[in-house]
Amino acid sequence: MERKALAFMPGMILDELADAVGGYDHISIEPSERATYGVDYFWIGRMWQDRGQVPPMPDWIVRPGSAAEVSKVLKIANYYRIPVHIWGGGSGSQGGALPMSGGILMDMKRMSRLVAIDTESRTITAEAGMIFQQLEWYANEKGFSCQHIPSCLTCGTIGGALGHRGIGITSTKYGKIDDLCLNMEVVLPNGDIIHTLPVPKHAAGPDLNQIFIGSEGTLGVITQATFKLFEQPESRQFRAFCFPDMHSGYMAGRDILQKVKPSILRFYDEAESSSIIQKILGVARPGCFMNLAVEGIARIVDIEMEIVLECVRRWGGEDLGSDYGEKWFANRITFFYPGHIMDIPQMFGTMDTVSTYANIEKIYWAMKKVIGEKFPFARYISHSSHWYEWGCMNYTRFIVEPKDVPQDPEAARRLHNEIWNAGVRVAMENGGVINDHHGIGLKLSRLMKEQYGPAMQVMEALKRQLDPNGIMNPYKLGL
Amino acid sequence: MFSEKAQKHADACRFCYMCRHLCPVELVTGKESNTPRAKALLVSMMERGMPMDKGCATAMYECLLCGACTADCATGFDPLIFIREARTQAALEGLTPDFAQNVIDRIEASGNPYGARACAVPLEDCPESGETLLWLGSAARHAVPDVAAALISLMRKAGESFAVLREEPPSGSALGDMIGYVEDVRQQALSAAAAIAKSGAKRLVVLDSHDCAFFLHECREWGIDLPETITATRFVADLIAARRLVPRQEAEIVSYHDDARLARDLQEVMPAREILAAMGAEVHEMFLNERFSQHPEASRACGSAARARECGSTLMGQMLPGLARQLAAARYADLLRTDARILVSADPQAAEALRLCVPEGVQCRDLFVMLNDRV
Repeated sequence: MERKALAFMPGMILDELADAVGGYDHISIEPSERATYGVDYFWIGRMWQDRGQVPPMPDWIVRPGSAAEVSKVLKIANYYRIPVHIWGGGSGSQGGALPMSGGILMDMKRMSRLVAIDTESRTITAEAGMIFQQLEWYANEKGFSCQHIPSCLTCGTIGGALGHRGIGITSTKYGKIDDLCLNMEVVLPNGDIIHTLPVPKHAAGPDLNQIFIGSEGTLGVITQATFKLFEQPESRQFRAFCFPDMHSGYMAGRDILQKVKPSILRFYDEAESSSIIQKILGVARPGCFMNLAVEGIARIVDIEMEIVLECVRRWGGEDLGSDYGEKWFANRITFFYPGHIMDIPQMFGTMDTVSTYANIEKIYWAMKKVIGEKFPFARYISHSSHWYEWGCMNYTRFIVEPKDVPQDPEAARRLHNEIWNAGVRVAMENGGVINDHHGIGLKLSRLMKEQYGPAMQVMEALKRQLDPNGIMNPYKLGL
Repeated sequence: MFSEKAQKHADACRFCYMCRHLCPVELVTGKESNTPRAKALLVSMMERGMPMDKGCATAMYECLLCGACTADCATGFDPLIFIREARTQAALEGLTPDFAQNVIDRIEASGNPYGARACAVPLEDCPESGETLLWLGSAARHAVPDVAAALISLMRKAGESFAVLREEPPSGSALGDMIGYVEDVRQQALSAAAAIAKSGAKRLVVLDSHDCAFFLHECREWGIDLPETITATRFVADLIAARRLVPRQEAEIVSYHDDARLARDLQEVMPAREILAAMGAEVHEMFLNERFSQHPEASRACGSAARARECGSTLMGQMLPGLARQLAAARYADLLRTDARILVSADPQAAEALRLCVPEGVQCRDLFVMLNDRV
């Protein structure tokens, strides 16, 4: 029986990849194992699985154990022009890790070693496949914290947090992942291993960190990173408030941020205050709920809380005391477990955006209007959980109950994308951006050119130069 | 194919990632298929028409059934339910991987995972009937007989009258872990209960925590009648409290490994620490156990026990010895981040697992052996 010459190649490539990553223990072509990489937290991927559809699968799974092994894999992939998808925890909501082009899937979790804790400089360095909670525990063990505490702390990897520009609940005081990361080791698509500058700040040209943070595996593979360590706060004081409307809450938040840096500041619209917050925290009163925490040295915290209370009073906020905040903190992860978090067969999405204080409330109402008018069956809830001196983000969610979700997967996908297009476009038209902290992935890739216009050519030029064969995570980030 | 209960738990877990940071297997292999969510996803896919294959069955066996995922779930979902059922399904479809089938065959042929015929513990002087029956379990009888011998010696030194079965039948625990809680397993449990009843025991002191958890949970659920059942650690801690054993004190810094079935299934973390304290040992906790020593009750409630990393098991050692060594090495890595260089365990399966790869400069000790040397 004749066999086409090319039919021999997958096996030959398998052997080559196995050789690159230290043997067959670290590679797989098992159908069931490949299937587990076909679903991440992206709603459409989950819907495909729920409706019994075959997920997008890679052809080869490789688990490198070092940057050198990553380099070897990328050289092989470039030679054969095979797509490469990078997988950390696989918990991203944007489909950024899905192997939409087949080819190689590089699961980074074998690279999970702690490299160094420098207590003198207050930094911690680890391989990018480490689950972030493990990194935080290593820091805690020495009495510090990385202060990157997202709801995906226990499921996302270091590389994942960097890849999509993640954020944690204490970001308002300590910063986003791009503020917390000091330097990185990156393997470029051609296999070269590079290091960004290992200093807090510099004037040696543009910051290479910020080219690769948020690049979602399209420009290279982050293999190691160094983060800031913070002393654990001596005191953390919670306080909850109820505001009469969205405007007063936003303005109170702005005034607080001009004077004090709370670690946590979460402000909920009336719809979320009366649904999720009421269900979990038992807050039952009309208005918009705000929960904040001030932390650090106890003496300073006392004074900061006094200033917070002054700002809140000025905007008519009602002081609900500290209990709700403490209860929220104790339950902050519970919101994301099955039974509490939105799930199939509901259709849902988080259209988080960020803007200045002049625009953020306008965006809230514009998104609410467009979702309400075009998709009247969708529920709209929103909160603002990451704040800056000049603006804040909206964590806006739409929820469609199962009775209104089409059973046909094609129709379901179409409706999902229509809601996203409408919501994100109106956010951008009103001064917001395509996304605040979940990334772009497959979900929003098509809207990147609308976001950036001619500025997109900067990213396209980087892509062309670094990845001329276009092998790195195709169809993501609009690249 | 799967029970309604298993389907419900798999469908809840298939898109949830919240416990993956605690899975000791996934942490050492980095394989996605080793996460509870991937196993749930596979079960869910099988329910939607994907055929089970050898790779899927293999994924189900690359799991210690240690329950870290279950114990940490804030909303009470339990991956062990569908993992055990998937093992049953693999057996029914003839897809059990060879490394697991070999162990199942040995359990069925000899009653233990090793295929051993003779007990390695000298039991000639022990009566086979009495009010207190000491249940050793297969790891203590075949792999770490010094642990069983130390416990027997301690019972004698305390003047405790007890019996031990020379031919101890399998409890059903190991087979239940290998093929799920099916009728064959219930039959093993019934045979074990009959042997226990025949001894005239009114109290069962169980050395192996897997067997103890099985007696207290599964047998109770099946309505199988057993005498009062207590762990060996609790029993010995009580002997010390009653001053029937008075150990010699030696100031030493040690760390203690919380066996998963003791700490999680049986909610028992303090007796071993009480025994160590009675010997004058200063316990320096490994990081995720730290809060035990400060607020043991509170820490259980807030999930610290869920985080204690399992170090391996008899079944893992027999099925996948390379992975078993990796698991033990990871536990020693936890130890080496403390200033203790002595790691104490109180369960024969934990002792067996930890003895696979003791790092240079570290001592691996069993609690009963250590105590017996000091009484």
